[in-house]
Amino acid sequence: MSGCEHAVEYVYQYIDEELTFTRKTRITMHLRRCGHCCDAFEFERTLKAKIAAGGKTDPPPELFTQLRALIQQERNTEGPD
Amino acid sequence: MESAHPSFPIRCTEYRDGRGLVKLRVVVRTTYSHGRSPLSVACCLPGAFVTLLSMADQANFEDDAMQYAPQLYSAALRMTRNPADAEDVVQETFLKAYRAYDSFAEGTNLKAWLYRILTNTYINKYRKAQRRPSEVELGELQDMYLFRRLGEQSGASESAESEALDMFVDEDIIAAIESLPENFRLPVLYADVEGFSYKEIAEMLDVPIGTVMSRLHRGRKALQRKLWNLAVEHGLVEPTE
Repeated sequence: MSGCEHAVEYVYQYIDEELTFTRKTRITMHLRRCGHCCDAFEFERTLKAKIAAGGKTDPPPELFTQLRALIQQERNTEGPD
Repeated sequence: MESAHPSFPIRCTEYRDGRGLVKLRVVVRTTYSHGRSPLSVACCLPGAFVTLLSMADQANFEDDAMQYAPQLYSAALRMTRNPADAEDVVQETFLKAYRAYDSFAEGTNLKAWLYRILTNTYINKYRKAQRRPSEVELGELQDMYLFRRLGEQSGASESAESEALDMFVDEDIIAAIESLPENFRLPVLYADVEGFSYKEIAEMLDVPIGTVMSRLHRGRKALQRKLWNLAVEHGLVEPTE
């Protein structure tokens, strides 16, 4: 298997930091030599960050009051232990 | 669950009380207690093989858990794709978490614990309606789908692919995540948006790590195809397939 194929196979585990030290080092070495794989890895990393930033939605402000009221109500209905 | 050791004057038993809360009963042989509470004796006992975790206090629940409410709501919204359902799921999650908070071991990962309750709540509530879990398969897609498509664009300069990602707005990202079938959407959501490890995701979804990895891999490719299709629809790229 070529260095590029090996790197592409493990691209997600690499950017997710889920690889063993040996495998990670082998890929890091490859990325130093291979501009194309380096671009590809950079792309996947940028996309992951973009998904993390763009995939979130703020809750409606009343959510906190609702949750606190819910817990308070639960506390009030509890009998002594 | 019961743990005991012949050389140890302590016995721990986990049980459920009348309300279904998980509680821990610690029994210490009287010769060792000298009038102290069983838990304080247990904490003083030597021996590295017993780890006693202090149990969380329900009184602190809001202070501890409320900081995660926005993230939990956001994740619930990606799962249910509907704000009213997302609020329901988060409320039920908080109620269950509060009731079980006595059994949450302090010092372990509260965020992961809350997400696990969220996942179970969502699955119990919505899979019932679907009758059977949707184990949808995705067609075979090329690795690094979006990177390759963008690279094929005429006039694309060297290493322009990463900059090309700027054309996607948050609505595109959300649409792409929500377009995934559930068994791929949850792993992608947990890894990419929430940043959980494979092990944590495997525990939350109750599947082996290998399954998490393969679903994540295929789910990410499908998400990339959806982004590509959106870019084509918006006239931002020239269709190449």
